Amino acid sequence: MKLNYLFPHKYKKVGWIILIPSVIIGLIAMVGNLEPAFLDVEVPAVFIDEFFGETKLIGFVHNNLLNEITGLLIIISAFLVAFSKEKQEDEFISKIRLESLVWAVYLNYAILIIALLFIYDMSFMWVIIFNMFTVLFFFIARFNWEVSKLKKSLL
Amino acid sequence: MKNTIKVERAKKNITQAELAALAKVSRQTINAMELGKYVPSTVLSLRLAEIFEVEVSTIFSLEDSDWD
Repeated sequence: MKLNYLFPHKYKKVGWIILIPSVIIGLIAMVGNLEPAFLDVEVPAVFIDEFFGETKLIGFVHNNLLNEITGLLIIISAFLVAFSKEKQEDEFISKIRLESLVWAVYLNYAILIIALLFIYDMSFMWVIIFNMFTVLFFFIARFNWEVSKLKKSLL
Repeated sequence: MKNTIKVERAKKNITQAELAALAKVSRQTINAMELGKYVPSTVLSLRLAEIFEVEVSTIFSLEDSDWD
């Protein structure tokens, strides 16, 4: 049972170091609607459907890269935090990992279902944006809480 | 499932941490097993049996609730 799809333990710390500033920058950029000019570029795109513009299957669009960069950094670093091995990744930790993952997916979709029923228009778009990350965040919170509870129970 | 890990550990006079190192698991795992909160895999059960130099069935035994 060597194959477990996890990163080496040291990447957990790397993940946190990237994740925390990325989330802060992402939130600031979102709240302040920041679009620094040097990140304004033409990018290749598919399924183009611009407001008051044309629809094309493939082409180029104007875009500010800040949200793409922060989004990517958050997802990649959250993956490192979530799926790096613990210092001693044994079978008991694997069980807690699995249970936490199931719990996180349930919670994530429970919230999404409620949002789907009661939140509309632009507000719902915000839900969808947060929902890109929340399943990972819920997992990270639950798993680390369970592991720290275990560690405390030994003191 | 019941187990006598704590008893076997006492016979061998080793701590949870020492047993954890021998079985190549964390101390939390040993603790959780002793408290009946975690049922180990077959591999870990066999490792423990080998460490304690007894049969697996000496350490682990079924309870009625294991048939539900």
